[in-house]
Amino acid sequence: MPGKEPKEASIDLKGVNIFYGSNHAVKDVSMRIKHRKVTAFIGPSGCGKSTLLRALNRMNDEIDGCKMTGSIFMNGVDILGRKVDPVSLRTKVGMVFQKPNPFPKSIYDNVAYGPRIHGIRKKSALDCIVEKSLRDAALWEEVGDRLGESAIGLSGGQQQRLCIARALAVDPEMILMDEPCSALDPIATSKIEDLIFELKKSYTVVIVTHNMQQAARVSDDTGFMYLGELIEFGPTKQIFQRPKQKLTENYITGRFG
Amino acid sequence: MPEKLDDDMQKLMSDITEMANLSKGMLVDSVRALKDLDGDLANEIISRKDRLYEYDDRIEERALKMLTLYSPMASDLRRIATVFKMITYLTRIGRYGYDISKITTHLKGQPHVKRLIDIPRMAGIVAGMIDDVIHAFHTGDLNRISDLTERDNIVDETRYSIFRECLTYMMEDPSTITRCTNYIMIARYLERCGDHACKIGEKVHYMITGERIEIT
Repeated sequence: MPGKEPKEASIDLKGVNIFYGSNHAVKDVSMRIKHRKVTAFIGPSGCGKSTLLRALNRMNDEIDGCKMTGSIFMNGVDILGRKVDPVSLRTKVGMVFQKPNPFPKSIYDNVAYGPRIHGIRKKSALDCIVEKSLRDAALWEEVGDRLGESAIGLSGGQQQRLCIARALAVDPEMILMDEPCSALDPIATSKIEDLIFELKKSYTVVIVTHNMQQAARVSDDTGFMYLGELIEFGPTKQIFQRPKQKLTENYITGRFG
Repeated sequence: MPEKLDDDMQKLMSDITEMANLSKGMLVDSVRALKDLDGDLANEIISRKDRLYEYDDRIEERALKMLTLYSPMASDLRRIATVFKMITYLTRIGRYGYDISKITTHLKGQPHVKRLIDIPRMAGIVAGMIDDVIHAFHTGDLNRISDLTERDNIVDETRYSIFRECLTYMMEDPSTITRCTNYIMIARYLERCGDHACKIGEKVHYMITGERIEIT
């Protein structure tokens, strides 16, 4: 993968609180997401991990009654600030969801969609972006000779990698993944995990997963969240071998509640 | 799932207790057979070897199965990892009991050069060390293994003193050379068993605290 110059160091969250109406979903979270590392969030359903993930590209703005306080510094700018345009932020922070959601268009058009919106019209430039993105998403070998075919005809694992390629096409700095493998079979899952390993050479990756083995395999740092609080955050090896907090220990050993 | 894991963990731990008793028993009894020149007991200990190896295989299988079924994490993972190491150390200890028993059968009733005092004393200290590391493994209480280093030092010193004493006997009377060489080897075996107990102690300490220490 051609290396990009490091753009900026880590992403710093300072005292982030997120409310859905009166529900305090994320409570005073401060942490540092390291540049070009994989950070995983784990925790039981409803603990706020997806909400926190969505805060990183202001996806929560779309939800009525959602309010955020605190700061998230990216490249020295507080992305929760009013002056930040969420649309341009989202080109820097791509997102991949639980269920693959390709557009009902050709494979090519799926990947070229973002760049076109950003004004790239030249066929040769688009060709180049599409090929690079599909290569970076480890999909080129499988679809390079049938780019005109519908994306809907791809397998679930291929669709998910297509969605990753689509996110990469707008040259982001960070990729957010919300349960990216939960709808995939073990083989497709392992391809996505291999891909995450490759992606971190060029991108910062944040992943939410219910699969603890997956978090242990792919991430460098892991945060355990419970009832909206970040209970423990540290190197993945430490979290899974000798967590400091009893709550974390109970959760990862399955003795919860 | 955790209940099933806990059940299997209990079985794994009781297997370890049984294996530790077998292994320590082989060592302690072998020294008793040696001291009393009891060939029958020595032969009986030799026959325990197969059971020792069965435990080694069975516990390894059980632990592997648990890794596969539960993908354990944190303290569960550390406990299973400790078990993998423990069974090797316990097998070695039992195996030394076997080796000492073999020596006893080769002595064929020849009298000892002198009354054996230091070798049984060493065996007693080592047996206590094994008991205490197994106790810590089960209870998570590190108190009884906090002085393993001191006890191991006594074992090492006793081994050296046996070595010097045997040298003196051998110089005085060459007819003692075979027996004394055996004593020196047996002292060496017991000293190694003390080291194995210390290694188990290190692993158990890691299992309980997550911190690695060195017991020398």
